[in-house]
Amino acid sequence: MSERKRVLIVDDDPDFAAGIRAILDTDYDTVMVHNPKDGWEALQKDRYDLLCLDIMMGRGAEGVMMARKIRKDKVLREMPVLIITGLREQIAYLFPGQAVHPGFVAVDELVEKPVEPALLLERVAALIAANEARRAR
Amino acid sequence: MTERRRRILLIDDEEVVLDSCLAILEGSEHDVALASSGAEGLDKARAWAPDLVFVDLKMPGMPGMQVLDVIRSLDPTVVCIVFTGFATIGSAVEAMQLGAYDFLPKPFTPDEFRTMVRRGLEQRALVVERAALRREREALRENFAAIVSHELRSPLAAVQQNLFVTIKELEGVVSEDQQRRLERMSSRIGDLLALVNRWLRGFSIDVAPLKEGFRPVAISAPVANAVESAETEAVRKAVEVVAAVDPAAVVLGDEGALTEALLNVVGNAVKYSREGGRVVVSAVCRDGKVVVSVTDTGVGIPAADLPRIFDAFYRGQAGESGVAGAGIGLALTRRIVEAHGGSIGATSDPGRGSVFVIELPAHMAPVPGLEGAPPEQHSKGETG
Repeated sequence: MSERKRVLIVDDDPDFAAGIRAILDTDYDTVMVHNPKDGWEALQKDRYDLLCLDIMMGRGAEGVMMARKIRKDKVLREMPVLIITGLREQIAYLFPGQAVHPGFVAVDELVEKPVEPALLLERVAALIAANEARRAR
Repeated sequence: MTERRRRILLIDDEEVVLDSCLAILEGSEHDVALASSGAEGLDKARAWAPDLVFVDLKMPGMPGMQVLDVIRSLDPTVVCIVFTGFATIGSAVEAMQLGAYDFLPKPFTPDEFRTMVRRGLEQRALVVERAALRREREALRENFAAIVSHELRSPLAAVQQNLFVTIKELEGVVSEDQQRRLERMSSRIGDLLALVNRWLRGFSIDVAPLKEGFRPVAISAPVANAVESAETEAVRKAVEVVAAVDPAAVVLGDEGALTEALLNVVGNAVKYSREGGRVVVSAVCRDGKVVVSVTDTGVGIPAADLPRIFDAFYRGQAGESGVAGAGIGLALTRRIVEAHGGSIGATSDPGRGSVFVIELPAHMAPVPGLEGAPPEQHSKGETG
């Protein structure tokens, strides 16, 4: 196998982030930070294969601001993003059971908190694979 | 008592009536103002903000009925009582339809008048209190989503996320019994999260923006989705769910929202059914409407509960079914149905079952993609 992929987790709830990290740790090198500012700095310093991003951080939807910044960045927008949010409705007016593609960047997906370990692992792997396939084209 | 003195406004063109009322109220705890015409009465009502208004129905100039109407529109919490002459019950009824609290036929005795004043002021206190409670409820409703979201949901999600991992990590390490208890914990947290999510969806969803995305929806689609979602519970309880839908029944709306609305009703029908019961979902076109009815053979709803089942947080007695919900589903259903210009109602035979009927305006124009599109759309379609 090739080298381990790197995943950055940005979530302002340290307990929740730790729960996510514990699932991903076996298969990935993970870094976790607890606010968008540290997240942005981490992205400037190192290269990541995937970002797990919380939406409701700080005083509101600071995760959305971060996603918008990433979208504007020529390099960073090539990175797949998995949005992990409290409620789908926090992103848009959407109902359960419907496909949700936030469309912030080329490859992204949304899951609701809490997320089943198997589902999380599958989504992370699928997003990284989809992004690699896209870039190979 | 430190309470503010109550204000009573008397409007009557007959000076003798005003004088005698004033004499009766003399020495009472109330402030009294008099007006000898409708126009003067309205001016005083605006400037003085009375608690209770007596108005004569038969006056020259502005008629009492109009005075009553204007005062009620200025402030619906003002209690109005009308004086009627010659036992004109007809106009008294009309006045009460306009919002008068009661009527007092002339001539009346001092005691009759005093009693009416006391009752009127009691009513005023109730109305004011009710308005305050309603404002409180609105404020709670506005802040509720935020409070629940941050204070309740986040910690629950964090606990559950860690339980997920821990249960996986401890597989084979702890005993089967311990493993089962951990899974029960996770399952209970899951129930709690689902409950919080239902509350949140019921409260935070703003149905107004839905309208921007309305498009023709064959009602068969949301009906099928709702029936499918209720299937798990139905199979568990051996409840048969049958759908009979007119394929031509089309409404203008949002499919996801309509699914949610129907799911609440179908889900309830299954929930309140007995083992082996039957739920029938039908949709037909009738008089320009799409009528969806959900009929169950379940425990039914007591007549006393029926008018309130669509109110938020209202939960009937669990009764023989022993199940209870969050009291949000039907309130949300009503909001969604009303956003679609429709209505919802229910009838029930306690012990035998209930029928929920949703009426939506039928969409008459052809559904895009079906044959026979009107020529003004496009003479040649882009799709083959």
